[in-house]
Amino acid sequence: MDVRVTTVLAVSMLLLLAGCASQPQTPEEFRKAVPGAFMGKTETFEVERSFRDVAETFQRRAPECLNMRVKTTSSTSTSYQVIVARYTPTVVVNKDRAELHVQRKFESGVLKVSPEPEAGYYLLVADAYPLEKNRTRVEWFGPSRGHDVLVRAVRSWASGENLGCPDLTKI
Amino acid sequence: MKTASGALGCGVLALAVGITTGCSGLRPYSSPDAPNLHIRTEATSGSVFSSVRADVGIYRVDPQCRIEYQGTVDLDKPTVAVGIPTDRPSYLVFGFSSSSFLGGTRGGISQETLLRPRPGYSYDIEATYKDDLYNVVIRELHRASGARRAIDLQPLSACGSVAERPAAK
Repeated sequence: MDVRVTTVLAVSMLLLLAGCASQPQTPEEFRKAVPGAFMGKTETFEVERSFRDVAETFQRRAPECLNMRVKTTSSTSTSYQVIVARYTPTVVVNKDRAELHVQRKFESGVLKVSPEPEAGYYLLVADAYPLEKNRTRVEWFGPSRGHDVLVRAVRSWASGENLGCPDLTKI
Repeated sequence: MKTASGALGCGVLALAVGITTGCSGLRPYSSPDAPNLHIRTEATSGSVFSSVRADVGIYRVDPQCRIEYQGTVDLDKPTVAVGIPTDRPSYLVFGFSSSSFLGGTRGGISQETLLRPRPGYSYDIEATYKDDLYNVVIRELHRASGARRAIDLQPLSACGSVAERPAAK
């Protein structure tokens, strides 16, 4: 099966099963829904970097890298499909937590089965928490497969190892 | 907003091959000026079954902030030197396109910036694509003093302010 079809299905299943077809409408609903959802995943890691630096990186890179529209075309001998996905990042920072939300809205090519938030379904939520000794703990919530590049970006931004943008055509 | 595109399937691959062989409208950029951009490129797919190629499209930006395509430079060497005018801004579109040898898949993503080089300065640009993360970093170097500073990428919407900035002596 095509990898993009797989990932679209994975997210759809995640969202559908997260709440018996009711889509999370807020980041908090998404955090609560993912751990018990089919093909949902949550993971925690720590980085040797200050909370302030991690938050600043989220604030700087998310708008630069994740505010974009991705057009995917697929064709076989019998079909031709165009999917346009609009990605929207949101970063919320306070002294206790830095949140990165990524939403995806399919503008064409995908049937919407239930009401979604204005900027689209929540795809990933990553929360950074300050720890002692300039360390930071990051917890992310999202699908268990098909979105590795997004998680890789969150890890790389948090650690400061690579500030590159994720290639969203790989989702 | 940035855009990216991906394509799947043999039919699309065939079209893509046709495009890369001369039907796309891409043309090589010929530098009218002495090189003032030194672009270092590292583009790896991380897989033996796929490859990534990088290039940069160069656009002229007129006083009304309209862009006109000037040509494309393949970033197929570790370092490529390019000259762009210093009397007006240019719009640089760094493209990273990946292709799979087995699955017949292609995808492309780009990162763009306005740049108005200053006389007496050169610009070291790092264009990287690694682990499916891409990045473009620009540093301005004053040739005489060796002083360096990082430059933020500027969207086309910043054209007015970039175009009006007086060139440094």
